[in-house]
Amino acid sequence: MKKGSQKLSDNAYSFVLTIPAVVLTVSFIVVPIIQSIIMSFEKYGVKNIISGKKGTWNNFRNYTKLFETGQIPEAAWHTIVFVIFVIIFQFILGMALALILNRDFKGSRFVRSIMMTPWVVPTVISGLIWMWLFQPQYGFVKYLISFVTNGRVNDLAILNNPSTALGGIAVAALWKQIPLMTLLLLAGLQNVPSDILEAATIDGAGPVKRFFSITIPFMAPVIKIAVSMEIIENFKQFPLFWTMTGGGPNGSTTNFAILSYREAFVSMNLGSGAAVTTIWMILMIIVVGSYQKAFIVQDMS
Amino acid sequence: MKKLLTAVLIAAIGIGSIFANGQNEKTSQTDSKVTIKVANYALLENGYEEYWKGIKTGFETENPNITIEWVTAPYGEISNQVINMAGGGDKVDCIFAELGWIPGFEDAGLAAPVEDILPQEFIDDFYPDVMKSFEIDGVAYGIPLYVSPYVLYYNRTLFEQAGLDPNTPPTTYEEMLEDAKSLSKLKDSNGNPVYAFGQTTASVPVSGSSIQGMIFNFGGHTLAADGSLDCDNQGFYDAFRMLKELDEKGYNPQNAKLKDLRNLFALGQLAMYYDQSWGFNGIQSINPDAKSFIASAAPLKGGNGNGQSKLESHCFVLVDNGEARADATSKFVQYVISEKGLSDYLANLTPAYPARKSMADISGVVNNPVLKGASGSVSNVTASPAIAQLNDLNLELCSLAQAVTVGNEDVDAAIADFKKVTNAKLSD
Repeated sequence: MKKGSQKLSDNAYSFVLTIPAVVLTVSFIVVPIIQSIIMSFEKYGVKNIISGKKGTWNNFRNYTKLFETGQIPEAAWHTIVFVIFVIIFQFILGMALALILNRDFKGSRFVRSIMMTPWVVPTVISGLIWMWLFQPQYGFVKYLISFVTNGRVNDLAILNNPSTALGGIAVAALWKQIPLMTLLLLAGLQNVPSDILEAATIDGAGPVKRFFSITIPFMAPVIKIAVSMEIIENFKQFPLFWTMTGGGPNGSTTNFAILSYREAFVSMNLGSGAAVTTIWMILMIIVVGSYQKAFIVQDMS
Repeated sequence: MKKLLTAVLIAAIGIGSIFANGQNEKTSQTDSKVTIKVANYALLENGYEEYWKGIKTGFETENPNITIEWVTAPYGEISNQVINMAGGGDKVDCIFAELGWIPGFEDAGLAAPVEDILPQEFIDDFYPDVMKSFEIDGVAYGIPLYVSPYVLYYNRTLFEQAGLDPNTPPTTYEEMLEDAKSLSKLKDSNGNPVYAFGQTTASVPVSGSSIQGMIFNFGGHTLAADGSLDCDNQGFYDAFRMLKELDEKGYNPQNAKLKDLRNLFALGQLAMYYDQSWGFNGIQSINPDAKSFIASAAPLKGGNGNGQSKLESHCFVLVDNGEARADATSKFVQYVISEKGLSDYLANLTPAYPARKSMADISGVVNNPVLKGASGSVSNVTASPAIAQLNDLNLELCSLAQAVTVGNEDVDAAIADFKKVTNAKLSD
């Protein structure tokens, strides 16, 4: 066979192999997204699903209503505050744990294995566990705080207070997600070349200097991926919010996921739910895109 | 050739996975045999499975040509399950539902008028005042198995411990606040404080429905007869001022769901609270000894109100799937909502009030100590206009209750915010 026709045949074969992936991506990701965006401009309810009738254009009403009622700014604020809080603490605590587990000490393997338990527990179950721990009448946290404060604080109700409820969910998210972050960072740490660290030590660099000038730059690709993953995970966090507070009290934990679910499946207004999803998706693209760009700049510098 | 085969196989898997599950399951239906689909979340709930299995067996024995096929999903998901099936062309025939779900099913075009499926003489046996709560524009879209207002459950033992007469529960909010002073000083056997009064305010539609009941207690209302928001009335404001007062005094467990209140009541940490009569089942599942201390009373009177409440019900919503299935569904409904079908259920499983006149004297209800104290309150209810956005309204009422309690907001300012948001939501 001639070299040219062999190459053509290989290209055709590669093309055919990609067809299923392309077809599945278009069918299950691209088409639903486009359909959802179209739906967000329509009056589209359960009646349309059942009758199979198309939705009707409603003059941006789904969007204007969401801004009129202040639901979108509120959901955006709760989502972003939650993501920033969780990511910062998750990274700091995950890195601290990774540095500890990177040292060889007796039982380090056992600790590594046991540490992964929260990550293995399904998110809904994690939510239920923490909801019971925070339960204001007979929850363990209430007893613990009462014991620690010698009975001075007896009425701690983290999830019932609008100013602490989001923090309560963030604690549950950290408990659940820190093990994965630690594992990823630990994998990155183990790839930092020991000879460079030794050379820096001989040159007189202290542990802090070595950490910021060698360890962190070498771990940059791992950090970038791990943090991106967790930004996305927390941006779309639904099970913890739904099981622990359902968006309350007084809307203080209503993030985009809760708002979208409530509009689409509790209020049965799929058009409005799609409008929330569209704004949510755009914001997520902006946040993740900005993060990626910021990280590239840092890499180059 | 090998490459070609691989490519064809991959393409077949890809296309196959897209169209998998795309076929509708056909309901078996011949001239003589009919299968009806009944959506029922209760089959997945503790204690109810045996009853519904018995219903199926008994009904199929009496009607050998009709088969019941259950469609189940958890309580919170059953509506979506029914809607998704209908969207795929597979409509159920009957839905075991709650009163508050009816406007949504009617708006979706699923619920059929009950008079299209059930015989008129059967419908005529239901109390007309009760049936009003099931009507949308004068047409009933649901048929109740049994009903209950939000009754006041109270703990006789705690009343005695507080030096109160357990045979004279409070009848007004003022009396309740007076009793609450001594009740709230009590501790349970583990030293935990006792809450005096429970009104659910958590972010779930049923809590909003219960709050509507409280507004009716004060003679207020939330909606005008045309379904528009109309909350500028004394009773509405009084109800939320009362919620704020209860919270400030620490009498009401904050942001609690009905199941939280049942839990606290069962454990002796709550002296009285509002619940549907069948909430007793939840209490008993936590504390099997609950019958020894529980008693019921009529809803409290507040302000200028006369203690009216909101009716709640477990009911059947019917779907018209053609004559043969509608006839079979009609037989099924009449089989369940009968003395034979409900007598034991109401006596032992779910204490509630019958909705049929002919069932008024069934002994399991008349002599039920749990129901006795509130028996007159079924007729003292207000029927709220049925609107498609009922869930929205109920959730906004919960948010308002949370704003004036855990949110510490001023009642007038919180109601102003509530009106702004709710008007926008109801305007669709």
